[in-house]
Amino acid sequence: MTRVAALLGKELADLRLNPALFMPAALTGFVSLLLPFFVAIIVPALAGERLSDSSDFQIAVEFYRDQPGLRDLTAEGAIQAWIFQQFLVLLVLTPVAASMSIAAYSVIGEKQARTLEPLLATPLTTFELLGAKVLGALVPAVSLTAACFALYLAGVSVFAEPGVYRALLTPSSLAVVFVLGPLAALVALQLAVCVSARVNDVRSAQQIGALVVLPIAGLLVMQLTGSFRLTVPVIALLTAALGILNAILMMVGIALFDRESILTRWK
Amino acid sequence: MLTASHLTRRFGERVAVEDISFTLERGEILALLGPNGAGKTTTLRMLAGLIAPSSGEVHVSGETLTRRNAPRLRRRIGLLTEAPGLWDRLTVRKNLDVYARLYGINHPGRAVDEALDIFGLRDRAGDPAAQLSKGLKQRVALARTLLHRPDAVLLDEPTSGLDPESARTVRDLVLRLRDEQRSVVLSTHNLDEVDRIADRVAVIRGRLIALDTPSGLRARLFGARVQIALAVPDERFALVLSAAGFADVRTTADGLSVGVEDSRSSAPVIVRRLVDAGAQIVSVAAEQPSLEDVYLRLLQEVRP
Repeated sequence: MTRVAALLGKELADLRLNPALFMPAALTGFVSLLLPFFVAIIVPALAGERLSDSSDFQIAVEFYRDQPGLRDLTAEGAIQAWIFQQFLVLLVLTPVAASMSIAAYSVIGEKQARTLEPLLATPLTTFELLGAKVLGALVPAVSLTAACFALYLAGVSVFAEPGVYRALLTPSSLAVVFVLGPLAALVALQLAVCVSARVNDVRSAQQIGALVVLPIAGLLVMQLTGSFRLTVPVIALLTAALGILNAILMMVGIALFDRESILTRWK
Repeated sequence: MLTASHLTRRFGERVAVEDISFTLERGEILALLGPNGAGKTTTLRMLAGLIAPSSGEVHVSGETLTRRNAPRLRRRIGLLTEAPGLWDRLTVRKNLDVYARLYGINHPGRAVDEALDIFGLRDRAGDPAAQLSKGLKQRVALARTLLHRPDAVLLDEPTSGLDPESARTVRDLVLRLRDEQRSVVLSTHNLDEVDRIADRVAVIRGRLIALDTPSGLRARLFGARVQIALAVPDERFALVLSAAGFADVRTTADGLSVGVEDSRSSAPVIVRRLVDAGAQIVSVAAEQPSLEDVYLRLLQEVRP
């Protein structure tokens, strides 16, 4: 554990000194934040219409009429709550993007900088090395997500109808951000670390890790079209599935990480 | 302390190292000499437990190095890789601190402070590694290699590309390791360096060509010779020595060169015979072929 903490400390210190690595994730977070405000508040304001004038969002009004604690929302507030909650899934992309850009660089970066061999000459085991690399990407990714969520919440409190922010503090909303998000990020970064241990360039690792974005985007589309809802049981099921997937990926990562091949065949 | 026993390493069809054996004693410096691609780095990596031999074994203080115990035994070994391998953005202190913790050193801060003092890095401790000169980077890398006080130290070309002053500093540090009774394996192309600091030399070219002390290798390949400078060189004096039983006598521009069993005991006899024959001797010296001559002769004898 001490060795994981030591290497994790190095990863975080290195990241602090190389903030450019974090830019794609910060941009993703920023766009994720902005988009729902654009849809729910800015566009209607520019058009001079209210969302509740349209019957398209009736489903949202009815949905919140059944929700304890949110029944008192106005029709406009209910629609805004619906939009802000649906777009919450986008926030899951933030830790995924953050972890991918960091993790893809992890092993390849060490190899390219010729810092990997001295590291492998220490008592560090493969599990510890990969564990530290994974945490080194996950910790900042989750921190960024938490920061984005806090901003999101503050933005909704200030700009949306009164009480809308409460829709973002329901168990399912919080679970999406703080459970599904980190777990999805963990899948992405473990994939990136696995690939990073087998390929010679950062781009390949990032491209393969980016595949994780697809199911998340699919989830968002399904939610917006009303064909799927992230209810608490669904989130619990997804959490279990992602947990199992992460355990499998960790084992695969350790099996794939061939110290000898990395040292002797990579140039 | 460290034993290589019939080490062989294949990469697919290619045999990088074949049947290399040697034992390294405490406080001994063994130099690994060989051309590029001779298997020096592969041998060091096997000794450090970074790659497993295809056959053969490495023993660390009598314990066979395996995949299972490698993480534990690596605590007793320090490997200086060919490139310093420092994290450029991090400071010198942070670089060392991370390794101190990776090796599980009890008081990492204190160990780092000591290393900074020993290696004269105190005033650069807060600088990012990227800002250091090549010589300083190598010094930091050496400090990192020795932080956990390993019993065996493996150095892969530690003075390569360094200016003479930095190279000398590194050599002095290596000699200090010997004084501290640590065993050192030094891979290098610098024959002068080997001559100055190595107790034994292993010449490898895929396999072990020779293993001996520098003087032992010289004697084995070239024998001992005594060089006599004469005020008036004359072939007559060569005949005098031949008649006295010296079989290998050559005339040189300023005198004679005589092949002997042992220069220390033969030199007085030679001087006496020449003086008796009327020679005016200017100087007498034991002739010593350079280690480069020895090395090149060995490589010529074993063409790949």
